[in-house]
Amino acid sequence: MTEIAMPLAHSPPGAAAAPAGAAGAAAARLAVRKLDFFYGTHRALKGINLDIPARQVTAIIGPSGCGKSTLLRVFNRIYALHPGLRATGSVLLDGEDILDPHYSMNRLRSRVGMVFQKPVPFPMTIFENVAWGIRHHERLGRADLADRVEQALRRAALWDEVKDTLGKSALALSGGQQQRLCIARSIALRPEVLLLDEPTSALDPIATGRIEQLIEELKSDYTLVMVTHNMQQAARVSDRTAFMYLGELVEVDATETLFTRPGKRQTEDYISGRFG
Amino acid sequence: MAASPYLRRRLANLAALAASAAATAIGLAFLGWILWVTVQRGLGALGPALFTGITAYGAEGGLANAIVGSLMMDVMALLIATPIGVLAGTWLAEYARRSRLGAVVRFLNDILLSAPSIVLGLFVYMIVVLPMSNWTGGRVSFSGVAGAIALALIALPVIVRTTDEMLQLVPGTLREAALSLGIPSWKVTVQVLMRAASSGIVTGVLLALARLAGETAPLLFTAFGNNFMAIDPLDKMASLPVAIYQYTNDPAPALHAIAWAGALLITGFVLLLGLAARGLLARHKVAHD
Repeated sequence: MTEIAMPLAHSPPGAAAAPAGAAGAAAARLAVRKLDFFYGTHRALKGINLDIPARQVTAIIGPSGCGKSTLLRVFNRIYALHPGLRATGSVLLDGEDILDPHYSMNRLRSRVGMVFQKPVPFPMTIFENVAWGIRHHERLGRADLADRVEQALRRAALWDEVKDTLGKSALALSGGQQQRLCIARSIALRPEVLLLDEPTSALDPIATGRIEQLIEELKSDYTLVMVTHNMQQAARVSDRTAFMYLGELVEVDATETLFTRPGKRQTEDYISGRFG
Repeated sequence: MAASPYLRRRLANLAALAASAAATAIGLAFLGWILWVTVQRGLGALGPALFTGITAYGAEGGLANAIVGSLMMDVMALLIATPIGVLAGTWLAEYARRSRLGAVVRFLNDILLSAPSIVLGLFVYMIVVLPMSNWTGGRVSFSGVAGAIALALIALPVIVRTTDEMLQLVPGTLREAALSLGIPSWKVTVQVLMRAASSGIVTGVLLALARLAGETAPLLFTAFGNNFMAIDPLDKMASLPVAIYQYTNDPAPALHAIAWAGALLITGFVLLLGLAARGLLARHKVAHD
């Protein structure tokens, strides 16, 4: 035993892989623990435990009504807008519980951005759509602000299409462009996590392809969580996939494993199209 | 042999179509008739004297003091009613949308919307005109300000209601998207939601103005009327509807002609406001589709 242990102790750091569980926990940007969610008296999420690793794309799939969007909407507490909804348990963002009432909602939302199903540009110019959020959170000079807007639009792969029309209304852009503008608007605040709620379901295949490519590129800087109806999309762009059914998290694994060798019967039935 | 069901349905359809077309025609005919008579009778007295002369000179004068008085009081009324109405409508739509208090306020606003305007005029007479007169020893009694307050009470519920409705039409996703940038809700309301609803809100203000322009009753006991040009808002003030009312009660036909010209002015003004409101709403729709 010592003969085996000795070389390991001397091996370079990269080769000494830590146990998988420990690595997962250390790298988890969001850690969901015993999360329950209620619409009035209806329990829509049941004891969810889930780790969302940093700088990866985690996809949440499942049939309609399984609670996947509800779960996503807990991560930036946007549900709190509506009366009668409440979450219990904990969701740790870098170790702090975001469900703690003392955790500032506006601070949370500047750290956890969200992109919605339908693109929702603000009724302002393209420039203002991106600048509005930055201006609220930071005091920047004109030139710095313009730089930040350009960076965000470049990062969202929209700059080349809008650089000459920054002063025009954002409402005139196409659906796919509007959705990329919404992504630019979120990442302009330099969030840590970006939540995507079926971000391509209102877009045509070409616009969808561009958004998927963008998601691939963004994961080098951000932790992405994407809810999708589309299993092919989850398989194409995500690193990990979580399968939910009837408010429970059935299974979560590396995307390839989940789609080729699912651990649970329900998962297999769903991905092979037997229900949902 | 009975008619086939198909034929019966065609006949029923034809009958319904004919009845609704006839009803539309009757409605439009009266509107056309009113417009025609107004133009026909009003055009005769519609000359430069109408805009330069004052009512003190009767048939030799014009309606200049009434036009200026109406404009001043309508603008003052909007200056009072717009901020209050927009804020109240915003409160209803954004902070009290489903609350019991919101429902009560909405109901009371609807009552104010249908309150007889003469009652509002008497109310302002009681709470503004009489106390002012007592306070100043009769130096200020009937005034343009009192008239404007009475008109503001008419404009207020219209503005509250349109602001409330237009903000409720703003899609919830826009609210969520703006809030999810970590921006406080008052800022989201003012800078995103009210901007999205702005053309609707402006339309409400224009429609309120169109209603004010023709009101006579609330001005009788408040602004009273004035045969001379009055710019001081604390002075008795002339207005087009009151001038029309007085001239039509006069036996002199020359004064009737001037009254018709005044009616034509109001009608044209209201028509323009209606067109502007429609234009704004059409742009609003384009922006949201």
